[in-house]
Amino acid sequence: MGLIQRELERSGIPTVGISIVRDYSVKVKPPRSVFLRWPFGHPLGEPFNVSQQRVVLAEAFRALCGIRQAGEIIDLPYRWRRERYDEADIHAILAPCRREKGPEA
Amino acid sequence: MTWHRFKNRLIARVITRFPSLASRFVESYAPWESEDVPWTPLTKPLSACTVAMVTTAGVHHRDQPPFNMTDREGDPSYRAIDFTRPMDSLMITHDYYDHKDADRDLNIVFPVERLREFEREGVIGRLAERHYSFMGHITGPHIVTLVNRTAPEVAGLLKQGGVDAAVLTPG
Repeated sequence: MGLIQRELERSGIPTVGISIVRDYSVKVKPPRSVFLRWPFGHPLGEPFNVSQQRVVLAEAFRALCGIRQAGEIIDLPYRWRRERYDEADIHAILAPCRREKGPEA
Repeated sequence: MTWHRFKNRLIARVITRFPSLASRFVESYAPWESEDVPWTPLTKPLSACTVAMVTTAGVHHRDQPPFNMTDREGDPSYRAIDFTRPMDSLMITHDYYDHKDADRDLNIVFPVERLREFEREGVIGRLAERHYSFMGHITGPHIVTLVNRTAPEVAGLLKQGGVDAAVLTPG
């Protein structure tokens, strides 16, 4: 995934990746990543857990808007199980994306 | 099913259940250590961006050819995904991770419905018309094909589609 992400970014498209293998992201160095220590095949969480999936996607967008250091990996705090997700969290997560402009280069 | 495919699916199931084993397994196919990090700044507010998704989860429409699971070095080709078609037109061909859960709810690897919600809610400006899917287990000479040919092709198609930003998801 990281290799494709790098090529898109190189072609002029800003990208963010959801990583579940931190070592891989460290080596391949995609421009922006959020990392979750979650099982393969579950980057956005569990089937039908809509709030969980929305939170992860919101975190990815926050990273897209907020990361200023090329190659940064944001370690998300969510455990695989026993987390609660709600809409208020999503609103707060997305706050930095609601500014007028994206980050300056 | 061939022994080769059976073995890969078995490994996929084991490392999905026991993620601690995965790091050792993955180390062997982390393709290289990059030096530089490409960078394109996001210059528009997210609420004005056309957003596309690119996945390596092996997603494709049922009427598209599946990814090649018999080549041990993977398949560097891609499939264009049309979000205007119903969710059940999509399926996964990928033996290198356990996609039983993703088969039940594709959003955990390819969050089509979540992105549609974010579009309706104005979080993102617009969802792109075409999204792209790869099969993420690629090694050997196919890495060169991916980096030099198919990934840049997808970048070109995204740009033609007016895409301002892309979200990438693994399998």
